[in-house]
Amino acid sequence: MATVRGCNLPDDLYYNVDNNVWARREADGTLTIGMTAYACSLAGEIVSYTPKKTGKEIEQNKSVCTVESGKWVGPVKAPVTGEITATNPDVAAKPGTINADPYGSGWLVKMKPTNWDGDSAALVTGAAVASGFDAKMSADGFAGC
Amino acid sequence: MPDRMNRPVWRLLDTGTRRAAENMAMNRALLTGRQQNVSPDTIRFLAFEPSALLGYHQSAEQELNMARCHELGVAIQRRITGGGAIYMDQGQLGWELYLDRKAAGSAEMSVIARRVCEAAAGGLQQLGVPAAYRPRNDIEVNGRKISGTGGAFDGDALMYQGTLLIDLDVERMLSVLNIPAGKLSDKAIASARERVTSLSALLPELPSRQHIVEVLAMAITDAFGVTAEPGGLNAAEQALYEQALAEIDSPDWIDMVQKPAHDRPVLSAEHKFPAGLLRVNVAWDRQQERIRQVWFSGDVFVSPARTLVDLESHLRDTLADRMPEAVRTFFDGRQVDMLGLQPDDIAGLLRQALQQEETA
Repeated sequence: MATVRGCNLPDDLYYNVDNNVWARREADGTLTIGMTAYACSLAGEIVSYTPKKTGKEIEQNKSVCTVESGKWVGPVKAPVTGEITATNPDVAAKPGTINADPYGSGWLVKMKPTNWDGDSAALVTGAAVASGFDAKMSADGFAGC
Repeated sequence: MPDRMNRPVWRLLDTGTRRAAENMAMNRALLTGRQQNVSPDTIRFLAFEPSALLGYHQSAEQELNMARCHELGVAIQRRITGGGAIYMDQGQLGWELYLDRKAAGSAEMSVIARRVCEAAAGGLQQLGVPAAYRPRNDIEVNGRKISGTGGAFDGDALMYQGTLLIDLDVERMLSVLNIPAGKLSDKAIASARERVTSLSALLPELPSRQHIVEVLAMAITDAFGVTAEPGGLNAAEQALYEQALAEIDSPDWIDMVQKPAHDRPVLSAEHKFPAGLLRVNVAWDRQQERIRQVWFSGDVFVSPARTLVDLESHLRDTLADRMPEAVRTFFDGRQVDMLGLQPDDIAGLLRQALQQEETA
């Protein structure tokens, strides 16, 4: 578990630091995708969530869903290329779940990766997580979660 | 005069009056272009043929009077940004910034909103209008909105956009948008006019569009310590634009979010207080149990008069169970005279409106 400037960033997940997204590899080879606690802190309370449709193939770094907080809208980008296998009905009903539990019940989509071994080279995990986010927070001028 | 030599240069892009689909495609193309580093930092000015623009997550069925839109030839489109539905025509001047996060100076939405809105308000002041920033996203003149704004991030690229009301057809706006103002009537029109204003309502003589563009561009670029030079789209942006237009100028994009109208009812309550009659209409999100928009009316005495409009703005997108606390927070530390009307009375009236939902 890493904590950077008060933001919880579990180091067993795979991150695209620039896009502020995480992926977790499940036992069956699928991925669960979500926003980082840092992204949630920047966004504030999320009030809307519109995922891409189940079955859709999404390229790495293209949008898997769009979230909105106040008037702020942003895409959440696929950490790797793959097919969307599930979206989260609990988050659709209560988008604030993303803020409350970004690594648990606030997950955004599940994906079946097309080429995990190739695409995941662009992601960071383990000890590199804390240093990667610390550099990003410095560049963003972010005070803390 | 400030020294403008040696400052970074933004592109000044004026795309004139266009169809809504074309303007939305331009939003997507320039934001993506900035993110891919094929676009320079840009300030853009634009206008719309008559259109009703949904927020990214909204559905036309819930937010618009679609029959009226078709009847009046008002195009229906979906923005790439959030917030509520708006009506646009040639009476509004749109302005937009496309910036790298570094040029924006912050990753925090509230910091950027304040900086941009205060700069734009400064420009309006130069035109002779006492405009000021109203958090979170508005520019107002004595409590009446003259410019609404909002933004979107894509990676490290920011788009921040606003609309300046030069002239507004309130009746037409109310007839195409499902604003919870009540049925279209003289009262509803008068009540809307209390909330918005325009350059033509405030100035004895309307400046030319070109003059407004120049003053706003100067005010905003000065605030960011840059200058602007006119330019057009480059080839990479033109390709992104055509790609975006193919996606956006289609029913699939416009109908991307479809929610039944009955899941966003307008709930109402009214009560005669010693301070006068207070009526409240609430645009209610049944699925999320969230207040989307509140509209107060009646003849209740409140000083300063803008208090209830500010409260409407404060209560946007509030979850029902957080409403009483949100009302209390709003009045904390504020000097308001309401002839004995208490914040809890207002929360009580809102609760009464929401209770209709439970009994329905």
